[in-house]
Amino acid sequence: MSDNILELKKITKNFPGVKALDNANFRLKKKSIHALLGENGAGKSTLIKIITGVYNQNEGELFLNNKAQSFNSPNEAMNSGISVVHQERNLIRRFSVGENLMLTNLPKNNLGLIDYNAVAKESKKWLDIMELDIDPNTIVSDLTVAKMQLCEIAKALSLESKILLLDEPTSSLSPQDTKNLFVLLKRLVAEQDVSIVFVSHKLEEVFEICDEVTVLRDGKNACESEQITNLNRQQLVKLMIGRDEQIINSKKEVNFDDKNLLNLQSINTDLGHKDINLNLKKGEILGLYGLVGAGRTELLKCILGLEKINSGQILLNDKEIKIKSPKDALEKFKIGYISEDRKKEGLILMHDVLSNAGITVWSNLKKILSFLNDQIVYNKVDPYVKQLEVKTPSYQQIVSNLSGGNQQKISVAKWLASGTDILFIDEPTVGIDIKTKSYLHELIIDLSLKGTSIILITSDMPEMISLADRIITMKDFKVVGETINNHNYEQMSSSIMDNIHE
Amino acid sequence: MNFKIPNFVKTNQFGLLCLVIIFICIFSFSTDGFTSRFNIYALSRVVALDIMIGLAMMVVILTGGLNLSLGALGVSAAMFGGWCMESMGIPISISIILVLAFGSFLGWINGFVTVRTGVHSFIVTLATMSIYFGFMTLLTEAEAFRKLPEIFTDFGSLKLFNKYISPLLIISVLTCFILYYVFKYTDIGRKLIAAGANPDAAELSGISVDRMFIYCHMLSGFLAALAGIMLTARIGAAIPSMAGHLGFDWLLPAFLAPVLGGTLLSGGKVTVFGTMLGAILVTLINNGLYLIDVGEFWVRFFLGMILLGAVLLDRAREYFTVKNSIVS
Repeated sequence: MSDNILELKKITKNFPGVKALDNANFRLKKKSIHALLGENGAGKSTLIKIITGVYNQNEGELFLNNKAQSFNSPNEAMNSGISVVHQERNLIRRFSVGENLMLTNLPKNNLGLIDYNAVAKESKKWLDIMELDIDPNTIVSDLTVAKMQLCEIAKALSLESKILLLDEPTSSLSPQDTKNLFVLLKRLVAEQDVSIVFVSHKLEEVFEICDEVTVLRDGKNACESEQITNLNRQQLVKLMIGRDEQIINSKKEVNFDDKNLLNLQSINTDLGHKDINLNLKKGEILGLYGLVGAGRTELLKCILGLEKINSGQILLNDKEIKIKSPKDALEKFKIGYISEDRKKEGLILMHDVLSNAGITVWSNLKKILSFLNDQIVYNKVDPYVKQLEVKTPSYQQIVSNLSGGNQQKISVAKWLASGTDILFIDEPTVGIDIKTKSYLHELIIDLSLKGTSIILITSDMPEMISLADRIITMKDFKVVGETINNHNYEQMSSSIMDNIHE
Repeated sequence: MNFKIPNFVKTNQFGLLCLVIIFICIFSFSTDGFTSRFNIYALSRVVALDIMIGLAMMVVILTGGLNLSLGALGVSAAMFGGWCMESMGIPISISIILVLAFGSFLGWINGFVTVRTGVHSFIVTLATMSIYFGFMTLLTEAEAFRKLPEIFTDFGSLKLFNKYISPLLIISVLTCFILYYVFKYTDIGRKLIAAGANPDAAELSGISVDRMFIYCHMLSGFLAALAGIMLTARIGAAIPSMAGHLGFDWLLPAFLAPVLGGTLLSGGKVTVFGTMLGAILVTLINNGLYLIDVGEFWVRFFLGMILLGAVLLDRAREYFTVKNSIVS
């Protein structure tokens, strides 16, 4: 008998067009803290969702206490003692701590009404185990973020969970709170027979509290249940990012002494960006790297006028400009934005290919009395749709029926057609097959060679190092580093990672 | 043998057309006088108004919203028209232009408040419905304008095409063609639809979504005012209660026509001719049931049932939008 409380063998999970997990293995030892690492899109969350019964795997088996098991719903997993504490809070903010803890099993009195004394008493028990000094009658919204986090863990414990999945538990905690959390986690493992799966981007934390580590990359195991003591930081980074991805060498010379095309000067925004200074040269690809929540997309949206800029200046060709809306950006300043979320923000899924590809150019094409027919739009967008090799049966095809890759091509095509000078490209290749991905890479480089200036956001490190001329690192809505890309993968990735983890 | 079904057959409009024909057949055989000249003329006068009201609602449903103030707005505009013509003695043509502008302005208020507050238009127009109607009643002291210029009231009782058809119907059908043209062949029409379908994507593609939504509400106010003028011409007087209390009488046909016609309640799709057919169907059922003499309450019961059925259809339709075109 092994001492694994949870084991996943050769798990494969397919989504339309993407293999999210490919023969992935995962073993969780009893009474251990196990780190699950990987870049965005590596398959971590898919794996967690399979463990917690949100998804069913296409292939492979899941063993709980050495018994084959399959969960058809999150409830089944919960009843088997698996709880997940998400990045987003899952507490009902206007309920008390006690009510939240006891929510699934509220004690009742003889009349069938809720017995609030029992709620307080029962929940107090779990808070005591965690050595938490919180009155169960406190309303959740009055707690600090750290306390809420701990309440969530208490809630998971109250469900008699033996396996706890913590998804980025420290992302919103202060260093002191994080330290306290770690002391608690270690004690839970030692005293309460709990095993923990720990998902985090912060490698220091992994080294501090984890016993073993599993790394996923492109849905496959980059390493499987390795002792953490056998690895050092560099090796771990290497495992996460991988080196096998080829780096396109764009052989492009950007003259960084050139004058700035777009220049942000000490921008402060409503969303919390502090003193952002940025400049973009003509024909440059400027990369914005950072972890999820670093404020990159938000910064672009502030520039586009969707959120308020409180102070600072935006200069275009050394002239101060005010961008009130994306319409302004497009029509007055020739700035376009390819959204990271093509389904929600990039495309109108229920409309056809022609109206999606043409939406940015309607204003320019309209004739007298605002007249515009399909033929006029077709003549304008057809070259771009052809250039991008969009595979669609016709221009009347509804976009939601196309594959993810082709959808993405359309959301790129509409901005090519608009002929902007500056293009913000946000995560252009998420969930896209390899072939389309490299095609889009070539296209982006080609665009910049033809003089379009590009700000590129991507969380895909190889992509960033392939494409960008200069990389700016952001963290917590601030710029924390700037590096000229020498396209040397090792050097660049470690220098960027250092910027983030400083 | 390879038999191909034409695309038109698969559309919602074709189904509606079939229903219209079926009902015409049923009522022709089961009632006396359904096909009489008098009845057809009366039908054409009613259907003209139902089409216009349906279109006025359709352009707001396009944004994923609703306009409950439709009836109150239409009547307020009509009363304003009555005041212009009767009390102020302003020439008819100028009065009509003023009424349409006034309707658009009231629609602009709906749109502006909706966009600025971010509150759903259901709530906003519920409020403005009371405001418009209350204000109108206050100003007119609930008195009707009954001495309108004769040319104006004569137009309402004019009989065309061998005395079968009211000219009001021609106005409505013409409006359908114009709206179809706007949505299908203009830049602005495309933008209205895009903004309704996915506001976020439209905004990021350089469309001013707020402005488009305000335009939709203004258009709705314009069409409701037009319906108000038509109703005034039809009865020959502007009466505060001509659309019922708070304009409620307009609401059922206003919803039924576009929803039956295939306009999605979630927005982003217009069906101008579908709305026209929907209005015809509603009027037919209404008229036929009266002729069968089932009583007022049964008619309401049936129309309510049809609306419920149409809403269920709407849910189903969202899955099948894929097969239909966006403007029809």
